[in-house]
Order: sequence, then C-alpha cells, then structure tokens
Amino acid sequence: MRLTFNAQNRNSTAGLEGAATRLMEFQRQVSTGKRIEKPSDDPSATLGAIGEHTETAAIDQYARATDSVASRLAVIDTVLSDLIVQLERGQVAAASARGSTKTQAQRDAAATDLEGIRDTLFSDMNTAFNGTFVFSGSASTVQPYTRVGSGPISAYAGSTSEMVVDIDQHREIKIAFNGQLVTQGADAQDVFAEFDDLIAAVRAGDDAGIEAGMSALERMFDRVSTAQGRVGADQRTIDEQKVRLSEMRRASVKRLSALEDTNMAQAITGMAQADAAYKAALGAVSSVTRMSLMDYLR
Amino acid sequence: MSSLFSSLTAAARALDAQRFGLDVTGQNIANVNTPGYTRRVIDMAAVPPESNRTAGRGVDVVAVRSARDLLIERRLQQEVPAERREGALADVLGVVEVALGKPGESIDGALDRFFDAFSNLSQNPSSSVARQEVLLQADSLADTFRDMAERLALSQRDTDGQVASAGQDINELTTQIAKINETIARTGESAGGILHLQDEQSVLVRQLSEIVDIDVLQRADGGVDITIGNGRALVIGENGYQVQTSVVAGVNHIFSAGVDVTSELSAGKIGGLIYARDVLVPGYQTALDSLAYEVANNVNALHAAGVGGDGGTGRNLFTFTPAIVGSAGAASAIGVNAAVAADGNLVAAAGPGAPVGDNATARDIAALRHGKVIGGTATFNETWGQLVYRVGRDSQTAANEQHGREEIVTQVDALRDQVSGISLDEEAVNLVKYQKAYEANARFFRAIDSTLDTLLGMLR
Repeated sequence: MRLTFNAQNRNSTAGLEGAATRLMEFQRQVSTGKRIEKPSDDPSATLGAIGEHTETAAIDQYARATDSVASRLAVIDTVLSDLIVQLERGQVAAASARGSTKTQAQRDAAATDLEGIRDTLFSDMNTAFNGTFVFSGSASTVQPYTRVGSGPISAYAGSTSEMVVDIDQHREIKIAFNGQLVTQGADAQDVFAEFDDLIAAVRAGDDAGIEAGMSALERMFDRVSTAQGRVGADQRTIDEQKVRLSEMRRASVKRLSALEDTNMAQAITGMAQADAAYKAALGAVSSVTRMSLMDYLR
Repeated sequence: MSSLFSSLTAAARALDAQRFGLDVTGQNIANVNTPGYTRRVIDMAAVPPESNRTAGRGVDVVAVRSARDLLIERRLQQEVPAERREGALADVLGVVEVALGKPGESIDGALDRFFDAFSNLSQNPSSSVARQEVLLQADSLADTFRDMAERLALSQRDTDGQVASAGQDINELTTQIAKINETIARTGESAGGILHLQDEQSVLVRQLSEIVDIDVLQRADGGVDITIGNGRALVIGENGYQVQTSVVAGVNHIFSAGVDVTSELSAGKIGGLIYARDVLVPGYQTALDSLAYEVANNVNALHAAGVGGDGGTGRNLFTFTPAIVGSAGAASAIGVNAAVAADGNLVAAAGPGAPVGDNATARDIAALRHGKVIGGTATFNETWGQLVYRVGRDSQTAANEQHGREEIVTQVDALRDQVSGISLDEEAVNLVKYQKAYEANARFFRAIDSTLDTLLGMLR
C-alpha cells in the first residue's frame, strides 16, 4: 500500500479533529452541567425532559393551589368555629330567658344578647377571603346576606351550587360553601329568621317559642359541626397532598436530572480520557510528520 | 567511428531521459499539496538497435501518465453527493432544532404558564389581577407560537436562498468545466499537455458533485460530459447548459432547458436543501400550525361557553388574524381576541349558565393541560414534545448519515490517494534513482568521449 503525503495529513487532521471534538463535548457537559444541548443529542431524552418539565410545572401549580386552598380553609374553619361558639352562646342566652320566674328586664337582656349573637352570625356568614365570599357558593362575588341598617336580614342571595378548586389532577377541594345549606338546611326558614322569632319569644316570655328557637339553633349547630368536620377532613387531605406533591416533585426533578444533567463522574473521566487522546494524537501527528526519507538524503 | 558517435548520441539521450525523470519527480514533489494533482509517472523504453551489431540506442521517454483510477473517481462522484446531501440536511436541521428552544423554555413553558394563569383564576375568580395574568400569558403563548412560526419560516427562506445560490454555483462550475473541455479538445491528447487540465477539471467535477448528483461520461478526447437529474445535459463537450432558477409557489425551483427538474435533484447539497425546504420544514410547520389551531379551538370552545366577569358569554379568547382556512397558518396568525384583551373582565371564569364569581370554566381550561385533546391520544405538551422529538431525530439521523457517508468518502479518497497521491518517500527514492542514473550515464558519456579522444589522438 502506498502511503501518501495527503493521506497522512488527512488522517492526522481527522484524528486531531475527532479527538478535539470529543474533548470539547465533554468540556461542554462538565461546564454547563447539561448532557443535552439540543434535541438531536438525544431525541428520546428531550421528549422525556419536555414531559418532566410539564409534570414539574403542574406539580408546582397544584402546590400553589394547595397553599391557597389551605389558607382559605383555615379562614372557613375559624368562621365555622366562631359560628359554633355563637350558637352555644345563643343556646345559653335563650335558656336563661326561659321560665315564669324571669323578669321582663332579664328577658330583654337575653333578647339583646341574642340580637348581638345574630349580628355576629350575620357577619360570619358574610366572611370574604381574597375578595370572594366563602358562603356564597359559586356566586362568590355576591354577598350572601345583606341588611339595610338594623333592618331584617335578607334571604340567601348566593348560589346553591358550591365551588371547588383542583389540588391535583383528580382531586378537588370545596372553597366556597352554599351558605343556605348551613343557615337553613332542610328547615322552613333560615337561622336569622329563627333568631328573630326566638328574640320575639324571649321578649314575650313565650317558652314554647323559646324551645322552638333553641331547637332551630341546635339543628344549625349540627349543620355547622358537619360542615366543620368536612373542612377538617379537607384540611387533612391538603396536608397529605402537600407531602405527596413534594414527593412527586422530588421524583420528577430526579427523573429530569437523569435525562438532562451531566453525570459528572462519567463526564470528568471522559474528559480526562479525551484530553489524553488529544495529546496522544498531537504527539503522533508531530512525530509522523517529522519523518521522511528526505531527511536522510544528504 | 559511427558506433562511437552513436554511443555518444545514446548517452546524450539517456542523460536527457534521466533529467526528465528528475523533472517529473520535482514536479510531483512541487505539487504535493496541489488539490486534484495526480501523480505523474514516466514510461521509459529502450531504443532498439539499428542493426544486429549494435547494442541499442539507449533509452527514451515514451510517455508521461497521470496515475489515475477512473473507477475510484467514479465511486467518489457517487458517494460525495450522498454525503453532501446529509451534510446540508444536518446544517439546516441544526438551525431548526436550536430555534425550537430548550425543554420547559419554549412553547411547552408558555403553555404551562398559560394553564397556571387559569388555575390561579379558578382559585380567585373575582381577582382582576388573575384575569390580567390570564391575558398576559395568553398573549405570551400566542407570541411564542408566532415567533416559532417565524423562525421556521426564516429557516425555510434561508434554505431557499441557499438553493438559489447552489443553482448559481452549478452554473459557474458548468462554465469552467465546459471551458476546460474546449481547451482539452483544442490541445489534443497527443500534445501531452492535458494532464494538468484533467487535474483541474477533476477538482471542478468534484466540487460540482458536492452540489448536485451528476453523471459523468468520459470523452474520447480526455474531457467529460455531465448530466444531472433524469439525464439533463449540463456539459456536453465545450457546451455548458446553464440551469435557471425561477420562483414557483413562493420558492426557487431549478429549471434545465425550460423543464422544472427540482424534483429530480435528490442528492448533493442542493438535494438536501430542497428536501429540507420542501418536505421537512413544511412538515414541522404543519405540526406547529395544527398544535396552535388545537390550542386555540379547545380553549375557545370552553371560553365561549363560559361566563365573563361582566356576565357576558360567547367570546373567544384566541382569534386568527388574518383568517385561516383549516389549520394552515394558524401558528403565525394566532392572537388574543382584541375585545377581551382590552377588558380583562371579559375573560370567562364562570361555567356555562353559572353566576359571575364561579370558576368552572377557569378550572376546565386549566385542566386542558392534562387533556388528551389532540386526536384523543395526546396532550398539547406531548404534541409539542413529539414535534421536538421529530426534529431532533431527523437532525440526528442526518448527522449520523453524514458521518457514515463521510467515512466512506474518506476511504474512497484514501484509495484514490493510494493511486494518485504523492508519496514523498517514493519521490525521494525516485530522486536518488534518476540522479544516480544521470551520474552513471554522464560517466558513460565521458568514457565514450575519452575513447574518441584516444582514437582521434592516433590520427595526429
């Protein structure tokens, strides 16, 4: 076989270029920390990385939604707790006005107490979080109960359908309750009307009316307790969800890292090998191109 | 006497032949780096004696040949276009894949942020800030689609420009090759002066084969005839037939003698450029348009059924300007409905028939992130991922193919070098060989000269 000057040069150049390219690729991987620079580096891994980025983004969004819902539920839980306290106070006030031994002054004082409790319930039921009412159902921008001055409290103006927020792909949490379900349930009238009747009965010393009013408060107590139980369950779900989302995110980031990131041990080893190969190629080219028969002719 | 003079003549002829050998060796060494230069070999032959009583009349140079293997050259002309086709594809796709952006930072990221905005709105359906965020992200998504469509269109335009430029290159090379054919025909093989012309021509033919797939036919006079495509004449003897570039359906087509031969040019740089411009990039554009169309239509269907903050309904979030037919051009025409963009309150968050303050539509649109809405099998981001995968795979295949073909070309080039290349060691040996032969013949000449002197001295 004839070994020609050009072939020798071409082989030398190709060898040097190949070694330099490998060295540069490992250097890029080590300096950027990324295994994939463009889709053609690994099309399948790029496809996987796009999927993982989407997964991570969705998890982050669900985590934000979970935090937001948790704050809202904490407010709702506080309101429901207050409702329970107020209903207990109402029971005590109504009971204190019962019996023929009570004076009118005592009954009036109890009635005034009950009016204050009713007003607190009114305020509680109109609680808003971030500009939306939590007891208006899906009509979250509509105040559920209104009154003009110290006039009668309006009927429920919210929506009977409730509003939920997704905290995962197939998991939703109620964030706006049907206030009517809490204040009225299956009763003929809502708790405010019941309070009005109860206050009138207390002033009039109508023990039967007081009993009926106290029963209505008890039924509402049960409804509020049920609602609070559901909120408590949702809060536990959220706590579990936070842990789950955190684990899912960690797993997704790990998968993404496996797809995209450089394996430093491998890359640094590869870089050292490529560096040695490049130096060897330089040495080989240098020694081969030095030799020629011309050098021996004198 | 006459035989001594014949010996002197033979010695002079031999000196001339060995000097010629030195000349050729020097020429080979001088052109060791000249592209296309083929090693020259001289053929020497003994000059036969005039009669039985003489040994012979020395040596003469009967020919100078180029060490050329036409089969290897033909193989190169077949392999180079295939290698350059893949090279051109890899170059175009290398630009396209970079234009697609990195995972999470391109259309997929814009889609994620868009759905995040609707998810935020579902948590605070009365929030004007959340509505503005929806509009911002919808606009950003539309912008990203339009940018991507523009980048693909730019790649296609650049590629088209390269096709036109390749057409000009073909014409320049065609003209030069035809001119060399003319010179070769005029010079004639007998003159022995066409070897350098053939070397020059082989370089031009090689350059031409890098641009376009050619068929080369060796002419009897040493020149070449060249055709492209389905036997379209490019060079016949001293006639070069120029190709014409003309715009058809918005892109440059190549014509030969008035016939559109674009579809016949499948290899060489121009073949790769045409394939990328007419098949690959339009395929990516169609996929991008389809994705933009599906995003807009699916979001619009939910948004139009939903109820805005003003209680109104029936409004699309995305529009296409200019109007499109089917999905063609959707990615470059997508934008946010101007009426909605001007008033964030018109963004629909409430479900169909639901009161203002509801979040069902916002939830439904946010849930499109996970919906298998493309053909019932893929989400938007999966569809985007498939497009990126397709470009990456095409680019990788082209690069691998080019690498493989490059190896073949390198091997064939090495084979050609084995025949035609210059070996400095070999030339050094030849140098010594001809130098020694020259010295020996000079000594012979001196011996004959001395003998003649002796003979003439006897006459004094």
